[in-house]
Amino acid sequence: MKTYGSEPGAPEPVQVGISEFVVRGKESTETLKSYGLGSCLAIALYDPDSGIGGLAHVMLPDGDAADGADTQPGKYADTAIRAMLRRMVEKGAAYTSVEAKIAGGSDMFEFESFGDGVGNRNVAAAKEELGKLGVPIIGEDVGGQRGRTVEFDVGTGTLQIRTADGDRGVTEL
Amino acid sequence: MKLDITALGTFYDMAREGAGLAAGRLTRMTDVETRVGITKLNFMRGSEIRTEFEDGIPKVGVRVELSGGLDGHSLILFERDAALRVVSALVEEASADEFDDMSRSAATEVGQIMNAGFIDGWADVLGTAIDVSTPEFIEGETAEPFLGDLEEAPTDDDLALLFQSQIEAVDTEIGFKHYLFPEQESMADILDKHTDPDSQGIEYDKLAGFDEMAQQGAREVASNITTLTGIDTSVKIRRLKFASLAAIPQEIDDEMLVGVAHELDGTPSGYLLFLFDEASAREVVEATIPNPPDDEFGDLGKSAIKELGNIMASGFIDGWANVLDTTIDHSPPEYIHDYGAAVIDPVIIGLGENQDFAFVFDTVIKAEDREFDCSIYAIPDEADLERALNNLDIERIEDAQTTADFPIDEVENA
Repeated sequence: MKTYGSEPGAPEPVQVGISEFVVRGKESTETLKSYGLGSCLAIALYDPDSGIGGLAHVMLPDGDAADGADTQPGKYADTAIRAMLRRMVEKGAAYTSVEAKIAGGSDMFEFESFGDGVGNRNVAAAKEELGKLGVPIIGEDVGGQRGRTVEFDVGTGTLQIRTADGDRGVTEL
Repeated sequence: MKLDITALGTFYDMAREGAGLAAGRLTRMTDVETRVGITKLNFMRGSEIRTEFEDGIPKVGVRVELSGGLDGHSLILFERDAALRVVSALVEEASADEFDDMSRSAATEVGQIMNAGFIDGWADVLGTAIDVSTPEFIEGETAEPFLGDLEEAPTDDDLALLFQSQIEAVDTEIGFKHYLFPEQESMADILDKHTDPDSQGIEYDKLAGFDEMAQQGAREVASNITTLTGIDTSVKIRRLKFASLAAIPQEIDDEMLVGVAHELDGTPSGYLLFLFDEASAREVVEATIPNPPDDEFGDLGKSAIKELGNIMASGFIDGWANVLDTTIDHSPPEYIHDYGAAVIDPVIIGLGENQDFAFVFDTVIKAEDREFDCSIYAIPDEADLERALNNLDIERIEDAQTTADFPIDEVENA
């Protein structure tokens, strides 16, 4: 079928919505993108040896304590990390060479119901789970009060972060 | 009719799956890669549905009547140009400008296959057969040809429950909308069968009444904005939707927004956000500060937006508090200037500890004579909302409607 309104060239990035995670295999040149993270957290896992990587866009910290993590592992930091790692290993990644980068987890509102910060809790939960699994965090851009849009290049393992705050421009991890 | 959250959640998931089935069938048929856009379970008044159709774009639809396990109508709607493109991809000799007999029948076929995708999804979940009538091909630019003759299409002031899904073709501008209009009685039976026996549920009439108060609150906010900025505004879109929390930020434009967020404390508790695009926020600052600063989003500008936020929050929730005979306090405004989705995701997370779905009272206020808009999102804590509505005396809504129009001078002096 003919296509209309499309330009030849770079493919559209694959969107990773809230509570989703996407894993791409060797030789993928795709970019995985999560728009407008506020207190949500983006977790990128990458095995530089095999070139297998994935991006999760998690909403809440603790899936082990929640109902429904079985059907939606990508919703929670702990279950998303385990599910993504498992899928990467199934695709041929070596568990011991996987590295992590995380971005997001801002706390933009000081509401009473947010306690010590919903973004902060997501960051802490991800760090704890990655620590338990022995996956090193080799880059992070977390916290603060600004939103972030992230793009993960599965070809190179680079995590590019844009903040709404114009002064900081684009950061690469 | 009683609305049970578990049942609504099941139907929401199912509508989303139905969209997936329909998208898959379209891909197989036309070889074009498709993606399922947003699925919504909306409660809309007839006037709102008509406004949505009346966007000046010619449309074609393929409509079927449903009976058996579910009574109502299912409608696949596409922009006329998009339908012609799909047809020309399927039938080489089809005209690219007009629907002749052949292209009409090809379009009907496509629409029918997609309708069947949605309906199969429903039949699966309901565990019953749904009978489908012969498809009708409809062309038009307003709601009238598509919905005018449907009994279940609501009159202007009636609140109807309907399912909407979007399917987009990747890398093209072809998009489809699906509408399912169930007959209320049939929907009530189905909800009844799928209700969680331990849950109280929400009376439909009470929710409709509560939504009327939100409508009134929205009008109040438009009037506040007009009074304080001199910009003539009115309520353009009003919706009550039931959506999964994860889907809520997806609907917000991926552009920079400026506004305020409030936490609500009372019955119901929840969150209330007022968001402007940057240009509109600049107008607010310029109109409300006597000597506007060069940087509209500096300290002076922020405090102007926050002050307007405070006034709008009171205007919006007073009607609810009155009708519920309760107090709903709003926190001081938290100023935000950020990407659309980032603005709302903290709120979604705040609610996400205890619920998967939320009722969202969604409003867009626009200026009459220029590009200026303000979006309002009121998202109550679901359990609180259920409690509040169960305690609601329906007669109070009728009383409140005649008395709650408090004069704007009170707001100005507040």
